[in-house]
Amino acid sequence: MGSFSGQSSGSCDLSFKILLIGDSSVGKSSMLLSFISASAEDLAPTIGVDFKVKLLSVGGKRLKLTIWDTAGQEKFRTLTSSYYRGSQGIILVYDVTRRDTFTNLTDVWAKEVELYSTNQDCVKILVGNKVDMFQDSERAVSREEGIALAKELGSIFLECSAKTRKNVEQCFEELALKIMETPSLLEEGSAVGKRNILKQKPEQAPPGGACCS
Amino acid sequence: MLTEQKPLMRALRRSHTSSSQSTSSSSSSSSNTSSSSSSSWIHLRSVLLVVASSSSSSSSSSSSQQIPTDRGSLKSPWSHRRRKHALLPKQWKNLFTADGKLIDGGVKFLKKIRSGGVDPSIRAEVWPFLLGIYDFNSSKEERDSLRSQKRKEYERLRKRCRQILKRTEKSVKLKGTAGNVCNEDNECFSQVFDSPGLEDVVSGRKSHSTEGGSPVFDDSDHRICDHSHPSSLSSDSFLEGEVDKRVVISQDACTGETESSDSDSSEEDENTPLLSSEIIEENDIHKDDNDSSSPSQIEGRSATPTDEDFATWRRIILLDAVRANDDWIIYSPSQASVSTMEARRLAESVGLKDYDDLEPCRIFHAARLVSILEAYALYDPEIGYCQGMSDLLSPIISVVEDDSEAFWCFAGFMKRARHNFRLDEVGIRRQLNIVSKIIKCKDNHLYRHLEKLQAEDCFFVYRMVIVLFRRELNFEQTLCLWEVMWADQAAIRAGIARSAWGRMRLRAPPTDDLLLYAIAACVLQRRKLIIEKYSSMDEIMRECNSMAGHLDVWKLLDDAHDLVVNLHDKI
Repeated sequence: MGSFSGQSSGSCDLSFKILLIGDSSVGKSSMLLSFISASAEDLAPTIGVDFKVKLLSVGGKRLKLTIWDTAGQEKFRTLTSSYYRGSQGIILVYDVTRRDTFTNLTDVWAKEVELYSTNQDCVKILVGNKVDMFQDSERAVSREEGIALAKELGSIFLECSAKTRKNVEQCFEELALKIMETPSLLEEGSAVGKRNILKQKPEQAPPGGACCS
Repeated sequence: MLTEQKPLMRALRRSHTSSSQSTSSSSSSSSNTSSSSSSSWIHLRSVLLVVASSSSSSSSSSSSQQIPTDRGSLKSPWSHRRRKHALLPKQWKNLFTADGKLIDGGVKFLKKIRSGGVDPSIRAEVWPFLLGIYDFNSSKEERDSLRSQKRKEYERLRKRCRQILKRTEKSVKLKGTAGNVCNEDNECFSQVFDSPGLEDVVSGRKSHSTEGGSPVFDDSDHRICDHSHPSSLSSDSFLEGEVDKRVVISQDACTGETESSDSDSSEEDENTPLLSSEIIEENDIHKDDNDSSSPSQIEGRSATPTDEDFATWRRIILLDAVRANDDWIIYSPSQASVSTMEARRLAESVGLKDYDDLEPCRIFHAARLVSILEAYALYDPEIGYCQGMSDLLSPIISVVEDDSEAFWCFAGFMKRARHNFRLDEVGIRRQLNIVSKIIKCKDNHLYRHLEKLQAEDCFFVYRMVIVLFRRELNFEQTLCLWEVMWADQAAIRAGIARSAWGRMRLRAPPTDDLLLYAIAACVLQRRKLIIEKYSSMDEIMRECNSMAGHLDVWKLLDDAHDLVVNLHDKI
């Protein structure tokens, strides 16, 4: 498991909780690692849940994103379900080279969100990962299908590659922007942000400049 | 921090003076800040230990009175000073009698491993004993025959895997849809155990379980019993009495309520898995049957998996196999140097295709993972495959080069670990509960802090429980921990815990839950950080999930040992 790279605290204006879900091996952890530390490596399957924190600036605000990474296998689902609670954003990930991971978003994951997400306004983004893979494998889900499903789910849509980092940052940033445009979520985020500031201690910037400016 | 620690320190000082005769040697250092330095902890722990043993009214008091003058023997076998060498090849050879039986019923064997692990060069030979495949009293002849019997059984499982795969591929072709692998052939399995629930199947196994060798008692049983009868087993392990432990166990087992299926299912004897062979025959007969599946198959509880279950497991197995950790490579030169051709051939034989640009040895490793995990899913369909299991198998196949032997080692390992992977989460929750209890007993201050953060369920150590420190420790360290843990479990299984350990003067009696003590120890090592710095469960989880590379397995075992000494009769 990767080390914790973005530091948990440091002053920020807003703090949001984001959840990554989707089938096993679609690249949730890789997306997160790619976003946090700009590295791309093969990762062992996630057991249970894990999370990372990233500080960044979006729309002139300093954000703290706590991104929860979950195990994809069904067996862990009852366990991970509690992590839907209180999240302002949910990233639904599929693998563009494996069709079943796409159909499971409708069959399984969207239902999970419905069932467990306590936040009516919670922003969703649909992400097709592994667009770098087309020389090895066929594309199994077209871009148009992705867009159509996103429309159905009322979510944003993006295709990305955790490996090349293409669109990875955009995924998180667009999600954050949309959350900030939603008044109820913005309020939740600033309440948490303030609370954090109160107990904040001065802290050194994390190496590699992953921190907000 | 200091203020927060005061009550604890005061309590310790109190106990200190109350057992003055024994503590003179450690009193000066114990007034240091407790958690900040490990050395002072060791002293404090020995104080606690003395208190614990001197307050016990049992007949063991005679030996505990001598503690102050005999501190060497008090130290845990894993403490820095006392750390022994691993079991060496020469010692291993000398542990056998002329007809190939382990001397003194395996006591010396286990003692050695318990204090230092096993030398890497003999692991593949030793593990089948540790993991309950071979009885300690078996002769070489018996083991040879068992080995070939087991090999056949493994091959039958593999054959079934291939048959299912073939059927599934055929039906996919017929239907032309990749997503839907459910087909008419599914039902042929449900025929076998249509209505009987798991219990029936289990009792079927049980009735055969005593046929060969001594019965094997499931370890979870002990824990349950310890739970409901705190005084029944472990508390008197210091006693020298030779009462047959099995009698105690079975009595207690009768009173344990809901867990019967657990304990029984692991009670199957080495020779058994009758279930599997029965199914094979049935399959062959009913291959083309077309009946509807039983309701018990829904929710993955089926005694026999459907083709769809199998396809689901297989899909995830294939994905996990290619992303297995590769830190085994330097420890397994023969497998590391496997040729590209051999690796590809094996991959093809198990239908592993998506290995991209993996090196040959990793392809080879992945293919072996696939074949054994598939076979296991059929062998134990209640569990099937769950992520995390590949973490447990990978080190085993790195050490054991023969697939059949690796499979049975894995199956032996899983007798305990399988409960963690149950869909109803009973197993994992029970384990987390025990960790929580250990922390509560040892360090109430920390426990109260956890309560405040609503983290007293110890969910933050979830991953450590599931994959037994595989993600936190490196390859070699993981194996050391597992070997010590297996030795403890083997001692209990063989019933030599009670009779032999007192003589051996290893103060901590063997426990089935050494892992949980180690996990608790590793949380306790961070008590200061947790109490002072962390204000949410999330932060503790982050700490626990990023321990990789920061743990010392022998220190961990040393601390775990102290917890066992002090708490084993309370947990």
